[in-house]
Amino acid sequence: MKKSLPLLLVFISTAAIAQTDNFIKENFTKMDTTINMRDGTKLYTVIYTPKSSTEKYPFLIQRTPYSAAPYGDTSYARRIGPNPVLMREKFIFVYQDVRGRYMSEGTNLEVTPHIASKKTKKDADESSDTFDTIDWLLKNIKNNNGRAGIYGISYPGFYSTTSLPGAHPALKAVSPQAPVTDEFIGDDVNHNGAFFLMDNFDFMNYFGKPRTGPVKDYGSQAFNASRNDAYDFFLELGPLSNTQSEKYFYNKSYIWDEYLQHDTYDSYWKSRNIRQHLKNISVPTLVVGGWFDAEDLFGALNTYKAIESQSPVNKNYLVMGPWTHGAWASAEWKQFATHDFGSNTSKYFQDSIETIFFNYFLKDKGNFSGTEATIFETGSNEWRHYTSWPPANVKATNYFFHSSQKLSLQKGNGGFDEYLSDPAKPVPYTNGIYARRNNDYMAEDQRFAATRPDVLVYETEVLTEDITLAGKITADLKVSITGTDADFVVKLIDVLPDDEPNFKSAPRGFQMAGYQRLVRAEVMRGKFRNSYEKPEAFVEGTVSSVKFDLPDVSHTFKKGHKIMVQVQSSWFPLVDRNPQKFMRIPDAKAEDFQKAIIKIYHDDINASKIVLPVLVP
Amino acid sequence: MQKFFNLVFMIIFSYGTFAQNADSTWFVNNYTKLERLIPMRDGIKLFTSIYTPKDKSEKHPILLTRTPYSCSPYGETNFSNYWRGFRNAYLKENYIIVTQDVRGRYMSEGKFEDVRPFIKDKKTNKDIDEATDTYDAIDWMIKNIDGNNSKVGVIGTSYPGFYSTEAAISGHPALKAVSPQAPVTDWFIGDDFHHKGAFFAMDGFSFYSSFGKPRPAPTMNYGPGFSSPVKDNYKFFLQAGALPNLARMIGDSIKFWHDMYRHPNYDAWWQARNARVGLYNVKPAMLWVGGLFDAEDCWGAWNSYKACEAQSPKTTSSIVMGPWYHGQWSAEGSQLGNIQFGSNTSAWYQQNLEIPFFNYYLKNKGDVKQIAEANIFFTGENQWHSFSQWPPAAVENKSLYAKASNSLSFSPGIGGSGNYEYISDPAHPVPYTEDVHEHRTREYMTDDQRFASRRPDVITLEMDELTQDLTLAGPVIADIVASISSTDADFVVKLIDVFPDDFMYPDAYSSPLGEARRGLMGGYQMLVRGEIMRGKFRNSFEKPEAFSANKPTHVRYELPDVAHTFKKGHRLMIQIQSTWFPIADRNPQKFMNIYEAKDSDFKKATIKIFCGGANATQFLLPVIHL
Repeated sequence: MKKSLPLLLVFISTAAIAQTDNFIKENFTKMDTTINMRDGTKLYTVIYTPKSSTEKYPFLIQRTPYSAAPYGDTSYARRIGPNPVLMREKFIFVYQDVRGRYMSEGTNLEVTPHIASKKTKKDADESSDTFDTIDWLLKNIKNNNGRAGIYGISYPGFYSTTSLPGAHPALKAVSPQAPVTDEFIGDDVNHNGAFFLMDNFDFMNYFGKPRTGPVKDYGSQAFNASRNDAYDFFLELGPLSNTQSEKYFYNKSYIWDEYLQHDTYDSYWKSRNIRQHLKNISVPTLVVGGWFDAEDLFGALNTYKAIESQSPVNKNYLVMGPWTHGAWASAEWKQFATHDFGSNTSKYFQDSIETIFFNYFLKDKGNFSGTEATIFETGSNEWRHYTSWPPANVKATNYFFHSSQKLSLQKGNGGFDEYLSDPAKPVPYTNGIYARRNNDYMAEDQRFAATRPDVLVYETEVLTEDITLAGKITADLKVSITGTDADFVVKLIDVLPDDEPNFKSAPRGFQMAGYQRLVRAEVMRGKFRNSYEKPEAFVEGTVSSVKFDLPDVSHTFKKGHKIMVQVQSSWFPLVDRNPQKFMRIPDAKAEDFQKAIIKIYHDDINASKIVLPVLVP
Repeated sequence: MQKFFNLVFMIIFSYGTFAQNADSTWFVNNYTKLERLIPMRDGIKLFTSIYTPKDKSEKHPILLTRTPYSCSPYGETNFSNYWRGFRNAYLKENYIIVTQDVRGRYMSEGKFEDVRPFIKDKKTNKDIDEATDTYDAIDWMIKNIDGNNSKVGVIGTSYPGFYSTEAAISGHPALKAVSPQAPVTDWFIGDDFHHKGAFFAMDGFSFYSSFGKPRPAPTMNYGPGFSSPVKDNYKFFLQAGALPNLARMIGDSIKFWHDMYRHPNYDAWWQARNARVGLYNVKPAMLWVGGLFDAEDCWGAWNSYKACEAQSPKTTSSIVMGPWYHGQWSAEGSQLGNIQFGSNTSAWYQQNLEIPFFNYYLKNKGDVKQIAEANIFFTGENQWHSFSQWPPAAVENKSLYAKASNSLSFSPGIGGSGNYEYISDPAHPVPYTEDVHEHRTREYMTDDQRFASRRPDVITLEMDELTQDLTLAGPVIADIVASISSTDADFVVKLIDVFPDDFMYPDAYSSPLGEARRGLMGGYQMLVRGEIMRGKFRNSFEKPEAFSANKPTHVRYELPDVAHTFKKGHRLMIQIQSTWFPIADRNPQKFMNIYEAKDSDFKKATIKIFCGGANATQFLLPVIHL
């Protein structure tokens, strides 16, 4: 969610050509208006209508908290629509400031809770706002064909999803892309209850500024958090409660206050989990996500799954590509970090999937024969087409931890490994000094971590044949700790061969040989191991099971590579530090943070393992 | 040493064979090359390349380099690329340039011996050493090379620096000026293969796997060394494990490698290979040259100069130390790694010190007034300073005390007593540098240490922000009070300059990190000096002693001299850790002969560092006001 605004701006500016500017002015009439919602609130809406009236056009709508700018009938955006081809296909493109943001009236709520049974006109939510908007557009915008589509990336992805429950009958195609979906379990704010400190802090510094009424511009950030080195900055910042100091949020962001207030999966978070409302959906959906999306990978995968399981007859499609947050909207995406995908994956998506999807369902143009799941497989760098996701022919395969850093299909050979987790020296999430989040971290070399004494490493022998994973990964750890709480970060890594050549543009001295490329990682805040609602302390000296899912992968470990797993108890400053003491972490004081010895068992009874979704040919 | 050989020597010389320009053409047109086998007193003949100017307007001095790295290219029609770089000046001055393969190397006869011991009392013509070989070579040259002025200079960097030191004690009256540069001096105490008894296995292994190959007869080519299938040196040496495993990999034929294994302590064998032992009654003028950030022979430059001062006080002897990697004074000298020096320090050295030095003593040209006793570049301040002695007389040694809460203070009284603790795990040694490399980097000597600060097995102590400049000039003494849970451990002390958070180099300098990451210098933890001590040698390098488990014990040792100004607004930081891998081999943390250790001997140990009270860890800093 955090990156979407800056990233989209980049995409827009790179995609924008002077000709595009002229194309929009020459071919569209722009109108700014406000639309009345059922409760009387007016939402600011920008409408680009094709000048040509040779055909009737469907609506293609984006609802956003990031501004429908530029404002004013004579100010045109430099790019409109989800991609340049669709822009030239011509739709009636609609941008709307959501309730309580920018030029719209009303009160903004963080990930607005959905009201399932609306009783009065006061019961407005994003679903009813979308309904009311479509209704108004159909009646007031000439030359429409009676159909509407909606799309959006990140937070606008959430506003796409919310159009689905109680959808307007004219809504015929929806594409939630990296949709914010559940901010306690896996998107943006928390992953399995662990607070994503750096992203939240930086995003809310911009997004969390209050407004007193409609504004075109929220102005500068709420406070100055300029820095060269995020690790150092957040370590010096200290406990979470220090973020409310005069220098920083100072209780001026209601969303930040809410984050610190709701440290368990309580009704605040549950009411914001849109998945539970995705029942009986009958609008074709194209859910899009990126394997390297640091923000809403969980949301893409689980929005698709929720529709699939709760609305099984719906036309529901999934596209997962080798993308960072929103990268599928960029003009070109052939490479990322040290990956070279061998083809322009974003153009493939835009031309061969997204354009055809909206043309077909909104214009009856062409034929959308899209397969259920169009999945890019990293490692082999191939697009795969599956009739279900995860594919049916996947075998959950146990890879057990062993002493001497081995990972094997056989059960562990006894004993445990241990490390000292020191909140004063948390394991960095990335190697090197970065002011902001290093967007490459999801594919980064993990050798910097493997050398640390507080990171456990398990790896297979060199693979004698390719192993392809498709679907979710489960970490199943048997642990004991000397404190009463701890975090567990599990990382799945593809170890490249010792003779792997360097890629062409590699910096001087760079060594691709033996590279430990991150495939997937996830954190679990230990106290939530049995329940996100009711955290439980660990009992010192007692072995506990910490079992959790990592987001899906589609990845081939090539013959000659090795599969590696790393386990650690901090991932900083991506994730805030666990004081390693069972407590409300937002209330923790500096002195609450204590070292803990973490033991990971791999004996016959307590056999720690990772369960991999191995594709059986 | 090996880096210099690989990078500077080989690249410069091999490029020269096919590159051509005005200088190379000038060299060929104005010089004649001769190859001669020069007989030594014991009958052994040493292969020698002699480049003589065609100019006969006057007699010319001889500038000699004796090398174990070959005086190639061989053949009287194949000219070296001596013209590359600043020493082209010596060609333009019509010096007679001579390079000689040392005894037993490449095309010379005889038996090679690494850092051949100096024989103090020579009795017969069979008592040869590098000093006699130099004497005999000089004697032959002044008698046999046409047009020489009977004045000889010797110059050499790294291993040839050692041969320069030995030349200086040859006693030949025609030898007027010698410049040992980064001279290999003592391979147990501080240069190349050991620092304070800790084995620098990585440098040693990559060097000796080729350099140490047997040579049954003169050859132009020793062939390649060990080629590791693992391109990540941390991984390679960790997987290799205990030292006997490395010995098996390098094979039986590498004699010196195995000699080192047979001498785990500073015994008579090593003591005989300390180049300082012969440095008495030095006749020629000396110009010692070294790099403050020389990963190989920084120690040797400082300590050969000091030995010469102490043991041969009447010698005209000067030292130059600049902010350089091994041999950087012959290359561009305005930056190293991420650190900028504000000017091309190498060019300043070349034009103001080295060239005038030889011109004066060998050609009686110009003067040497600008060459002070000690010519030292101070990083941080980025200025050259001259001193009439080193360390300067004005230095005041001040104790900096480790304190609680990761702080350091000059006040002994404040703060209570206590200790820091970490677990040193030989299975997860602290890397010496942040990124993955196949070969040891030379830049690590100024690397950002933030990657280490973030580890739980590194203690980081920091002074308050400086309110005025703090300049150090001389050796730093670490006086650690430690207890360990086992019977041996290593200690690495790193002196670090922490840059202000908003630090940026001025726009005038290009950022080696790239414009986008210029801000990364803010908060940079610049390594100023790091040194290791193998704990068991804390009282004696000859007689190692086990630690008593968990008993507070003094580990006191000297870090090589520094010349650095911690600027106002910066912070002085010290890090303590017990591994520095893979530059130093791992200590099994068990008192034993490490060269015989098994993989199973390597154990975790809990290290405590005490501060305050009776067990006050402190660091003696050579403070000067410039």
